[in-house]
Amino acid sequence: SKLTGSVQRKWDINKLIYLNNIDPADVIARWKSEEAELDNEDSSEADIEQEEAFFQKKDVQGSSEDLDTSQLEFAPLDELKSKWVKPDPLDTLKKRFFKSPKQKISEK
Amino acid sequence: MAKGQIITFQDHENFRLRLILSTLAGKPIKIEKIRSHELNPGLKDYEVSFLRLLEKVTNGSVIEISYTGTTVIYRPGIIIGGVLTHDCPVSKPVGYFIEYMLFLAPFSKEKFSIVFKGITSSKEDVGVDLLKWGFLPVMENFGVRECSIHTLKRGSPPLGGGEVHLLCNSLIAQPITIHALEINKISSIRGIAYCTRVSPSIVNRIVSSVRDVLRNTIGCEVNITTDVWRGETSGKSPGFGLTLFSESKKGKNWRYCIEDIGLARETPEDIGEATSYKFLELLENSGVIGRNQLPLALTYMTIGKEDIGRLKVHKSQIDAKLVTMLRDIKSVFNTQFLFKPSPEEAEEDYLVATVKGVGFTNTSKKVA
Repeated sequence: SKLTGSVQRKWDINKLIYLNNIDPADVIARWKSEEAELDNEDSSEADIEQEEAFFQKKDVQGSSEDLDTSQLEFAPLDELKSKWVKPDPLDTLKKRFFKSPKQKISEK
Repeated sequence: MAKGQIITFQDHENFRLRLILSTLAGKPIKIEKIRSHELNPGLKDYEVSFLRLLEKVTNGSVIEISYTGTTVIYRPGIIIGGVLTHDCPVSKPVGYFIEYMLFLAPFSKEKFSIVFKGITSSKEDVGVDLLKWGFLPVMENFGVRECSIHTLKRGSPPLGGGEVHLLCNSLIAQPITIHALEINKISSIRGIAYCTRVSPSIVNRIVSSVRDVLRNTIGCEVNITTDVWRGETSGKSPGFGLTLFSESKKGKNWRYCIEDIGLARETPEDIGEATSYKFLELLENSGVIGRNQLPLALTYMTIGKEDIGRLKVHKSQIDAKLVTMLRDIKSVFNTQFLFKPSPEEAEEDYLVATVKGVGFTNTSKKVA
């Protein structure tokens, strides 16, 4: 909806997921870049960058990487620490929490 | 089935899920090129152990492993369950095995009652508390009401010595179609801090560090149970760990959950702090359920009734691993998920995952 009127190709996540010739990591990269490139950047350049990033990641994949764990990946602790002192993400997250009447009164 | 029709996968990615999907669909699969370029090619001991477990809970399964162990052909039988004991290798915790048994347990001919022996939690795979507090509620929402996991003995890595009993009493024909579009408000954060063969003060140190972080950031109610194991039931190795999960008052009983354990050179404070921050991160990036619970929920949605199921997910939950998983589901069940924008305003970060169930029926229920 954001891109209506632009000439840039819009990637549909639903199609991307099932295009078996595109690597899963690449699917996510293309989809995410589509959202980031709102101001009609040169997409071919971005594509090359993505391809480079894609190949680099492949190289990093060690031979004995465990591809079947249920572990979640997170940013390093230092990053998380500095993120979760900022009021912005905290306030957004606080909306997800239920507030007791007592808490509401004390805030006022 | 003719040889040309066999579904072929490559690599050791999603090893367990592929076998489970094959079992549910009753379609044979072939997994080739398993670690074929590595110094130690072929299946690992825990993967063979998983295959053995599958053989035990099914009747008529045929497993062929090539000489080098790089190719597996699996022809599934029917799921029969039963009363069993499974010794897990110390290379993987019992959660590695239990997690995917939960995909099969409700659709069995007889009840699943399996005692798993080994390590009860690790850094890489799910622990027993996470399964109990995070996964069983998901199953409950799909109509599997009587499934329980009991920790009889805890066993920390590296030596283990734990025992966990998985009991699934409800046998259903197929999961209920869900429409989970509402994200519940969290009323409090609960947790379990446990330790085996170390001083009981360790758990208190974990609890106080979690409280410090969560009170100073979110400021909600934090309620952590301490669980100290000693003597015979505490396994062979010293260790400690923490599981955090959310509690909601209203709505369906979905829970977000996360866990971690202490290894060498990590203090209880490190674990408490790191896990709390990760929990906040998980909450931010979750839809109705957390990323770690998605494989179970999406699989249940796939094998549901021939009706459209809906589940609200966060955009960041769609990652490369999930794409691989959705492709695996498509190759076995030939059904596609469709991600639609969230119907509510101001929810740009959310999508609704929809899928039409394949109308799977529990094979043992067909006759009756």
